[in-house]
Amino acid sequence: MNAPDLSIAAPPPRASDDLEAQVHAAPAPGSGARASRLTPMLAFGRFELGRLLRSWKFLTITVGFPVIFYLLFLGDRPAGEVVDGNVTWRVYLMVSMCSFGALVAALNAGGSRLSIERASGWARQLRITPMPAWSYVGTKIATGMLVVLPVIVLVEIVGATFGGVSLSAASWVGLTVLLWATSVAFVVLGVFVGFMVSPEAAFPVVTGLMFLLGYFGGLFTPVDRMPGALQFLAHLTPSYHQVALALAAVGGKTLAPSDWFVLVGYVVVLGVAIVWKHRVEEARGLA
Amino acid sequence: MSIFLPVPSDAPAAPCTTPQAVALAFRDVTHSYGSRVALDSLNLEVAQGEVVALLGPNGAGKSTTISVLLGLVRPQQGRVEVLGSDPRRAVADGRVGAMLQSGSGIGLPPGVRVDQALHLVRRLYPRPAQLARIIERADIGALLRRRTDRLSGGQAQRVRFAIAIAGDPEVVFLDEPTSAMDVESRQFFWRMMRDFGNEGRTVLFATHHLTEADETADRVVVLNHGKVVADGPGATLKAAVATRRLRFVVDHPDRSVLDELDGVTEVEVCGSGVLIDSLDADATIRDLVGQGVPFRDLEVVGACLEQAFVELTSCLGGGNKGAIDDVAALSPRAGSPSAREMGGDRT
Repeated sequence: MNAPDLSIAAPPPRASDDLEAQVHAAPAPGSGARASRLTPMLAFGRFELGRLLRSWKFLTITVGFPVIFYLLFLGDRPAGEVVDGNVTWRVYLMVSMCSFGALVAALNAGGSRLSIERASGWARQLRITPMPAWSYVGTKIATGMLVVLPVIVLVEIVGATFGGVSLSAASWVGLTVLLWATSVAFVVLGVFVGFMVSPEAAFPVVTGLMFLLGYFGGLFTPVDRMPGALQFLAHLTPSYHQVALALAAVGGKTLAPSDWFVLVGYVVVLGVAIVWKHRVEEARGLA
Repeated sequence: MSIFLPVPSDAPAAPCTTPQAVALAFRDVTHSYGSRVALDSLNLEVAQGEVVALLGPNGAGKSTTISVLLGLVRPQQGRVEVLGSDPRRAVADGRVGAMLQSGSGIGLPPGVRVDQALHLVRRLYPRPAQLARIIERADIGALLRRRTDRLSGGQAQRVRFAIAIAGDPEVVFLDEPTSAMDVESRQFFWRMMRDFGNEGRTVLFATHHLTEADETADRVVVLNHGKVVADGPGATLKAAVATRRLRFVVDHPDRSVLDELDGVTEVEVCGSGVLIDSLDADATIRDLVGQGVPFRDLEVVGACLEQAFVELTSCLGGGNKGAIDDVAALSPRAGSPSAREMGGDRT
């Protein structure tokens, strides 16, 4: 039997066995109940993360799209041109591409992958394990957040090296944290698509959302250069408000509550829709 | 209007559990999806260690029964207990495993290897089965390094079975587990199931193949329109629906000869008309010829097993009562209610 990470009969411990041993040995006396509830979720989170990071399709799309778009748009305008009020194009583009990268990663982490595994019965199989029902969605959101962060950092590195962006250390950290935290709206949107859309339709829907939210959110071209009607649409996208918050942070301005409001609104509305869909399926005996 | 096939008192008991301990219990459970009634005050009890087949046509309520037992569906009325507690508790405690009907796909996560999926599921349970044991049971040793999306139908079902038993469950539910399999995989699968059941675990599986139910289960529960319509050992049920009715005319019929014909279970004589119920129509007819009975106008009513089963369940909704009478006639203690009879009319 040639199965390196399964100790079938042979005792030699392998990396994964060690990890399993750690996971099972972890609970200290007294924290038993809590640890035993956490163990399944950690195992599932690790499994999900591994699945995403082993997928060439996922990696190519999430790394390729923002970086290539960044490099393509870089020459669109003079780097020092002031756009959208008072930021330079080089900063605007980097923040936009961070947002775009987060959007692409989040939608693809949920989206059709989630839709396919729900339709195939795998999600149901997980529901009948001791893992609590809510932790399926919880873990999906957590892993979505985990893959978004390196994409944001990667685009920032491109910005610092090729994009001519220079910020203070505190600004880099603040920007990263803000972009990451606000990306939860995209992650929830990805899970929402996975819950609502059939496996056949999910990929086109994800692709469509990527470019619609990207374009109308002003990620490819500054919003103040858009026609008036499109500017109105921009205000409806989470991308626009994420970028607005990030630019305000970089510019040292106060963060507008209205931007937070829209982003939180997205999370709440989409979250409620996911729970509703779950309830409906449960009532019909489909979940 | 239900039929009961009493379960013999020497029904196989679990080797390592108390024979009388109840593993699964439905008490007056009703559930409908909109206007469609899936379970109609269902009463059913399964003892620990029993291997029970849930037999019935599509829409009989088999999948709903399993969904309710898994806590996936909360019934609108009635009580359901799994291992003495609420189904969700039993699931949360890791005492239950299941192989559900897969939807559009194979019910396995795409893009991972079989061993990775199995590893995950084992970690989700508090007391997982030994890996080597799962691999041996489900015979997936050769599949461990394969990607789940590159398995054949039969292989995928074996992996799904492995996943169902990965948590070392006390109770296992299988919803039409062999529906995507070829004949060979089916036979292998049921052998695997039997071995698993022989360890004293409770197994409940849904099927619409009477032969599978009969060969694998200690007990067959027939569901139709969300009610138990028959309940008993597979052999009894199979015999009931395997019955053929021979009709012919003979001048001066001799009961003593007719009663002794091969395969005969019942003889009715009415003038020159004879009606014989037989478990083996071919043998009965051969014997008729051999005995020199001068019969004419021979007619054999009945069908192959599957058709007979369809007849059995479809006529139970009302109308033709023939099949029910056949079953009742064959049941050794027809009409005398036994302690194990759980199904049917409300008490």
